[in-house]
Amino acid sequence: MNRKFWTLISLLLVAALLLAACGQKPSGGESAATGPVTIRFFHKWPEPEHMEFYNFVIQEYEKTHPNVKIVMESVADEPYKDKIRVLMASGEVPDIYFSWAGEFSWKFARGGQALDLTDAVMNSDWKDKIILSAVEPYKWQGKIYGVPMRINAKFMVYNKAMFEQYGLQPPTTWDEFLAVCETLKQNGVTPIAFGDEFPWAASHYIGDFNAKLVDPAVRQADYLLTAPAEQLFTDPGYVEALSRFQLLMDKGYFNEGPNGISHSGARSSFIAGKAGMMYIELEEFVTVADGMGADAFGFFQFPSGTGGKGDQKLLTGAPDGFMVYSKTKHPQEAIDFLKFLTSPEMGKEYVKRLGIPSAAVGAVSAETALPIVVAGVESINTASGMALWLDTDINIKIVEVYLPGMQAVLNGTKTPQQVMSEVQEAAKTVQQELKNQ
Amino acid sequence: MTISRLFSARRLTPYLFLLPAILVMATFVYLPIIENFYYSLFRWSSIDPRFTFVGLNNYKRILSDSIITVSLRNNVLYAVISVFFQVFIALVLAAILEGRVIRPRWGSFFRNMLFLPSVLAITVVGITWQLIYRPDTGLLNQFLEGVGLGFLKRTWLGDEGTAIYSVIAVSQWQWVGYVMILFIVAIQAIPEELYESARIDGANLVSQFIHITVPLVRETTLVMTTITVIGAFKVFDIVWVMTAGGPNHASEVLGNYLYRVAFRNDEMGYAAAIASLLFIITFLLTFVQLRLGRSGEEV
Repeated sequence: MNRKFWTLISLLLVAALLLAACGQKPSGGESAATGPVTIRFFHKWPEPEHMEFYNFVIQEYEKTHPNVKIVMESVADEPYKDKIRVLMASGEVPDIYFSWAGEFSWKFARGGQALDLTDAVMNSDWKDKIILSAVEPYKWQGKIYGVPMRINAKFMVYNKAMFEQYGLQPPTTWDEFLAVCETLKQNGVTPIAFGDEFPWAASHYIGDFNAKLVDPAVRQADYLLTAPAEQLFTDPGYVEALSRFQLLMDKGYFNEGPNGISHSGARSSFIAGKAGMMYIELEEFVTVADGMGADAFGFFQFPSGTGGKGDQKLLTGAPDGFMVYSKTKHPQEAIDFLKFLTSPEMGKEYVKRLGIPSAAVGAVSAETALPIVVAGVESINTASGMALWLDTDINIKIVEVYLPGMQAVLNGTKTPQQVMSEVQEAAKTVQQELKNQ
Repeated sequence: MTISRLFSARRLTPYLFLLPAILVMATFVYLPIIENFYYSLFRWSSIDPRFTFVGLNNYKRILSDSIITVSLRNNVLYAVISVFFQVFIALVLAAILEGRVIRPRWGSFFRNMLFLPSVLAITVVGITWQLIYRPDTGLLNQFLEGVGLGFLKRTWLGDEGTAIYSVIAVSQWQWVGYVMILFIVAIQAIPEELYESARIDGANLVSQFIHITVPLVRETTLVMTTITVIGAFKVFDIVWVMTAGGPNHASEVLGNYLYRVAFRNDEMGYAAAIASLLFIITFLLTFVQLRLGRSGEEV
């Protein structure tokens, strides 16, 4: 009796374990028609002030859509790049997920993980409510796969007091820029604060140099890997780009040891008045303004490419936006929420709360944003186009060779020529792999 | 009928009790290991889950991948330095703290001081040391400058020559105290009479240490050595937090190169092959540990 009882118990235990192990159903199994609809929403802004905004949007949306429940999750910038891939691999893909523009988003489209939003955007009033130029980088083979939430670009900011003290003007050519650096250095000031512990920071410099030193058609053929294998990344402009970057290091225009400092660490130095300039994103303006006062700094477009074959009026930067999972159970609801999130009303709220330019039409104005941010957005609007972030605009396997190479150039352990020949090899390999698929 | 007879068979019962554990182990440990070997034979990515059979190509690539060589070298460095500090130095520290001079007054103070770093979260430790290592405002460089050793200043984490050593140093700082505590426990188990008779025979502290302490904590030493070596090959977190393998892959270790290949480069098949390599290394080390452990029992 007793033994039979225990045998039963252990059998039950085994059965329970088996059930637990293989009984897990993929989430979102409930039927769409009647029960509440759950939309999973995943982004890369876990900072409290950002979360507050998204929570506000969700609350507002759920008020008018009682049958929809938005479940939000977020991780920071660097880990996001990993986590989204883990989610894709596991099949637990969120219904709406953040993506950088360009190659980063196109690979989701290529892999069949992103819903085609062309119809939803172009055949409704949505197209009048978002800045359409910001949609361009989310287009793959002519179709829209992502909707921009905000716009962003890189500018050189400078310490106004310092420039005044040494009689400096914002430079408009590469030589003027070098002269400014030299003057600051002669006066014992670090000319440029730069933190490259995570080498995306260097890739923003190189991306800007490339855009202005390499012919646009050649650069596009290289980035998209459509150029003949033997010509990939062989334009002398790429070597020149790394050489100019190296020059800034060798002349002592960057602070000491950029590879050992994080970007935010370098930004603190700039805010503390320990450096004359820094290359930062428009979205960081508000942080700098909080730290040193909105009138204490000015900005100019980095004149990195004087004399080059590229388009000198390009600005490095990209929109940030969202994509919808292709196999979502609730495409209607997901698209509807995304439309609400990117609407001008929410856009204004975004700019007001965070000081970061939204991609919604009319969201950035003197009422909602700092004058310097408004001026930044004007610069974006007058630029001839955007050179996307290099690290999300070319294939990741090339990035993994290119970016560490930039760190090596800073350390003086590799020459620009060596780095580019490694990039050429990597590009050839990737091109071959893509052909074989 | 037959089933109940089967269950009542005495010799089956223990296996039935083991069954849940075996099932859990099989599902979460053995099966993934086999699956990993299987996956390493394909080229596939997380975003585009098309499988292309490539045979042993991923393993061939390991042999020609220079980053693998750097990673292995860094893991070996990690192991050698860790064994020196976390086994040898920790044992010496334990012996000093348990010695008759320090123990009565300062024993618990130093024990706690040295143990403290091991209870801190890895990220906290990593970020704190990043600040200490900062080239411009970091404590270390300022200290070197202050005591007149300015020529030793480095970009500790940003220099390809010093990055891995700087990370290894932090690991030692964090774990020496922990291993030391384990040695203290082992030393406390040594009968006091042995030291007493040694003293009567005129043995000084050094020979007491060599002839009594070292042989009698042999078991702990063996275990700690193997654990430290295996840990050095599995290391991931502290490296990822402090340098993420940079600059220019100079501080890459197998664990974080595997992670990078899988979740940055989207080469799941190749990552699985690296995981197999890591598995083989740690499996061999564990095997050695088990053998050494057994020979210890016989003594």
